[in-house]
Amino acid sequence: MTLTQPPVPQEAVVAEGGHSPTPVVPAPRGRRPHLAGAAFLAPAVVLVALLIALPFVFTIYRSFFDDNGFTRSWVGLDNYVAMFTDPAFGQSVLNTLFWVVGTLVLPVGLGLAIAVGTWKLRLGGLARFAVILPYAISGSATAVVWTFMLSTDGGLDTLLRLLGLDPLVSQWLLQWPLNTVMMIIATTWQATGACVILFLVGLQSIPPSTLEAAQLDGASGWRLFWAVTFPQLRPMTIVVVGISIVGSLKVFDQVLLLTNGGPGTASETLALTMYRETFTLSRYGAGAAVAVFLTVVVVAASWAYLRRQLRPASN
Amino acid sequence: MTKMNRRLLAAVLTVVSLIWLIPSWLLVVNAFTLSSEYSGTPSWWPTSFSLFDNVRTAFENANVGQGMLNSLLYSVVGAGAAVLIAALASFAVTIMPLKRPTLWFWVIYIGTILPLQAFLSPLFTGYAAASLFDTQYGMLLVYVALTIPFAFFVVRGHMSGLPNEVREAASLDGASWVRMFFQVHLPLSTSALMAAFVFQFTWIWNDLLFGLTLSSSSNIRPVMATLADLTGNYSTYGPPVALAGALVASLPTIIVFFSFQRFFARGLNPTA
Repeated sequence: MTLTQPPVPQEAVVAEGGHSPTPVVPAPRGRRPHLAGAAFLAPAVVLVALLIALPFVFTIYRSFFDDNGFTRSWVGLDNYVAMFTDPAFGQSVLNTLFWVVGTLVLPVGLGLAIAVGTWKLRLGGLARFAVILPYAISGSATAVVWTFMLSTDGGLDTLLRLLGLDPLVSQWLLQWPLNTVMMIIATTWQATGACVILFLVGLQSIPPSTLEAAQLDGASGWRLFWAVTFPQLRPMTIVVVGISIVGSLKVFDQVLLLTNGGPGTASETLALTMYRETFTLSRYGAGAAVAVFLTVVVVAASWAYLRRQLRPASN
Repeated sequence: MTKMNRRLLAAVLTVVSLIWLIPSWLLVVNAFTLSSEYSGTPSWWPTSFSLFDNVRTAFENANVGQGMLNSLLYSVVGAGAAVLIAALASFAVTIMPLKRPTLWFWVIYIGTILPLQAFLSPLFTGYAAASLFDTQYGMLLVYVALTIPFAFFVVRGHMSGLPNEVREAASLDGASWVRMFFQVHLPLSTSALMAAFVFQFTWIWNDLLFGLTLSSSSNIRPVMATLADLTGNYSTYGPPVALAGALVASLPTIIVFFSFQRFFARGLNPTA
């Protein structure tokens, strides 16, 4: 999971807690204040427009063409029709769904459990360190480690033989859906640390008096968690779940490095399909159609999720 | 919590931690294994102390060293420039009397919402046409542009939370805005700037997609793309070299991550 692509504008989250940012105080006008403002804003706007927004618009445009990088001809919606009727595309959507559900259950669920479980525990820091360490290990490095773990006669197979569990020895990356499940587990190993950190930050912002009051009322263990801790963690949970959904829809690195979408296209995700169409097959129009589809899904998912979760807490 | 429950929790956590450490342990042990003695199956205990030989092979023959230098340049300069540019824009939308600050917020923030794949291929075509493909300028440019939106998100959030007395601006001309930015608001935003820098440093360091697609020669390629080649080249160098390379390539982010952890937590907290 990457922490650099949060789907949640801070103001949206903050507004719910009641700390809405103070309104900008209108300042007295100096000489050409708007020109000065434009100068401050220009570098960011120009770079984002030129290197992100403009290429995106071109992706939309290109998705209506048959484009091999040299010649381009208008085909209307043919790329989209071909995409939706391609069985490999259906498989890709299914795998992407696997990733969305898998990374919600595993890294987010485990991250919450570990953060809450170790929070007030002596030596809890040790357990957290073990889980957070892989998060600091780089993405490609994670893939190197897990290629090594999951290859035939690799780390996992040796471990299973060591434990006398020979029947479980498998070709982890060569069969679907086992390979997708194993890649999700590899990602869990790396990404759970990020969730732990974020949930810890959330836990630390719960006022101690709230917890003490609940404990005086006799709440403890599960009841304390469900009645007090979890509701108090809601703003952070929204952020973590949002990051997780958006991140898993776009999953690329791990799959490229561990199976390259294979065998065949069995473990491809949408990002991989787009990459293969564009850079391996040089079918730029078809790749652009997948990219547009992926964008629509990502934006729709963020919007649907946030619209529901960020509604004012009137209930 | 009862004593029984507490013990159970401790036991579960111990098991989970141990499971979690297995891949890290294997990574370290096998990175120490002599490449030529590698048996084809992972070893569980160190059999020799050849880490430095493996690192040397990775550095000299597989270009990991050059890749790390490239990545260091992109990460430090790219993240630094992005944070500064983002701070300027944050200052404009939160402090300066700008028309439609919300519109400008979304114009920049859109960069964090679009999936990278949505603009990757035109960027590749454009880079080829503009002779930016496989150049250091080109890589720096794309990393700066990509990391501005999130840095902007973090710094802007911080600046809009500054006390009113700091935010109220007197009548100023262009030069005074610049002075005010550098002398007042930038120093006051140090923690947010650091958090944004660490995140974006890590992001650029870990990027694989743009390294793979926008560069090809070893003196331009960032280290993650180099490592990806090394994984594919298992047969040439063997797993110990790939693991040693992965280990060394992870050091900068591990160091940065653990030494800046406190900035991290504060800069991201949505409830603070």
